[in-house]
Amino acid sequence: MSDSHDLLGLAPGATPAEIKSAYHRKLKEFPAHSHPQEFKAIRAAYDTLRKSPQGLDDFFAPKPITADLDKALVTQLEQRVRGSVDVTLEDLILLTF
Amino acid sequence: MTAVVGIDLGTTNSVIATLENGQPWVIPDEEGDFLLPSYVGMTDTGQLLVGQAARRQYAAAPERTVKSIKRQMGTDYTATLNDRTYRPQEISAILLRSLKQRAEAVLDEAVTQAVITVPAYFTDAQRQATKEAGEIAGFEVLQILNEPTAAALVFDVNSEETETVLVYDLGGGTFDVSIVEITGDVTEVLASHGNNRLGGDDFDRQLQRHLADRFFQTHNVEVPSDAATQARLLQAAEQAKIALSEHAFTTVREPFLVSQGETALHLETDMAREDFENLIKPLLKDTLGAIDRALEDASMTADDIDRAILVGGSTRIPLVQHLVEDHLPNTPVTSFEPDLCVGLGAALQAGVLSGAEVETVLVDVTPHSLGIAAVMDTPMGPMPGVFSTIIPRNSVIPTSRSEVYFTAMDRQEAVDVEVFQGENPLAQENVPLGSFRIEGLPPKPAGAVQVEVHFDFDLSGILTVTATEKGKGQQNTLVVNDAETGRLSSHDLRQSREAIASLFDLPAGLDDDDDDADAE
Repeated sequence: MSDSHDLLGLAPGATPAEIKSAYHRKLKEFPAHSHPQEFKAIRAAYDTLRKSPQGLDDFFAPKPITADLDKALVTQLEQRVRGSVDVTLEDLILLTF
Repeated sequence: MTAVVGIDLGTTNSVIATLENGQPWVIPDEEGDFLLPSYVGMTDTGQLLVGQAARRQYAAAPERTVKSIKRQMGTDYTATLNDRTYRPQEISAILLRSLKQRAEAVLDEAVTQAVITVPAYFTDAQRQATKEAGEIAGFEVLQILNEPTAAALVFDVNSEETETVLVYDLGGGTFDVSIVEITGDVTEVLASHGNNRLGGDDFDRQLQRHLADRFFQTHNVEVPSDAATQARLLQAAEQAKIALSEHAFTTVREPFLVSQGETALHLETDMAREDFENLIKPLLKDTLGAIDRALEDASMTADDIDRAILVGGSTRIPLVQHLVEDHLPNTPVTSFEPDLCVGLGAALQAGVLSGAEVETVLVDVTPHSLGIAAVMDTPMGPMPGVFSTIIPRNSVIPTSRSEVYFTAMDRQEAVDVEVFQGENPLAQENVPLGSFRIEGLPPKPAGAVQVEVHFDFDLSGILTVTATEKGKGQQNTLVVNDAETGRLSSHDLRQSREAIASLFDLPAGLDDDDDDADAE
């Protein structure tokens, strides 16, 4: 049993619906405005359980590597580099000869 | 027990609501009006005008009248009324104080605690300025609440089934879209997106320009650019806009708009709803893009939305309803009290915060990412000034997150921690929130010293940044947005409060004619 299950008062193997309703029960007990620290822990536990619904079954299964390339950043980097090596063909010819 | 109130401080109109037996209701003024026009003005004798009275003098005396101040919140703009300049938070404070007096007169008790709403997409500085406005007006601000979230609180879903609702809030000056999950009395915001500079004001200005063009076509004379003439034209545009929500055609008449020598030139032209729609369609297309982005952030598609709710005065425009309906083809789109719903929700939340006569639980998100400037290794070498996100946008608040960074140079002695808010991958393109430095790092090769940066973001939007060198434990902390580092010192706040209060004391009780009703 994980800490996250513990915190939400859940048994291992709880369904997504059970996870959500346990989370809501805890929210009412520890609202964010009066219990910020408890709220953060509850929310972190909920996020952990929600994002790993498959549990231990395919723990050993190979997982693909994902890499996000931020297109906007690449474009801006490219513009910067272009900006810094702004040489016209004419300049290049003059420099070479 | 003293009453608590919720306030929708709008670009065009403001609303104050309170709770009775757990039910929110809007407090009207003496004439029974629920809306306070968000106008502040001075008569030529220096008497304060708030609301309808200020709105009435706008076309005649634009230089002594302030409208749409919400658009300037969080900037260093100042408005001049007679011999004094006012910061945006002070003009807003005048509106808030007027609402406070209205509530105290009706409830017959002192009102000090308030929840004030802001657009979900407001930045840190805009939220801080709003909170200051509340304090200048003499309120204890319980919470700065997001407008679409407040609207969602009003919708009672009396089943334990989860309903996913899209709140589309297009007001006088700002646009928000929020995706909200309502399960019984738990309201959870999944994602918000928006535009802080899009609303009815922009439609008025488009129409104002269009009317000026038509005037030129008729008379071959430009409409003069002086404030008074332009104010008349703007008000005519606003009236035409409102008429075109009801009717397919309207006639715009501004007699004697321009005088040319001995002759007076009139503006008189027929406007079709379609002409107006063509003017604003490009602006409205942006709101549909924001819907898609909010859906994407919530990991949803249009089919996941059970219903869409339209909030804000500008959603009365038929084209707005049609565009939203077409964009969400299988979703019922409804409108509910577009002017009052946000204020009612704010009153509910005020009830929750002040001692729970209401059983509602609210989970909200921060609409902007928070992070610091860092050096990133790229194929072209190290690149400084990259925005490294620590709290991603649409994170549930309150929240705490940490990231570990490494020194970039050999024998680096200090690191500068520069904090930004925004979505641009280049730090400088985002909104700076503050910076500090950690010195006395141990002399080690690049990458050998670790610095942990910890962000703590609380429910009121106060961000505390702590950076710790992991070896020797050198530490430094920055609190963004608290009383110490806020835009106004407590001394300034007190001075503003006294200055604003004295404006109200001048006219009060001296005479009872209609124009003073709003200012009392």
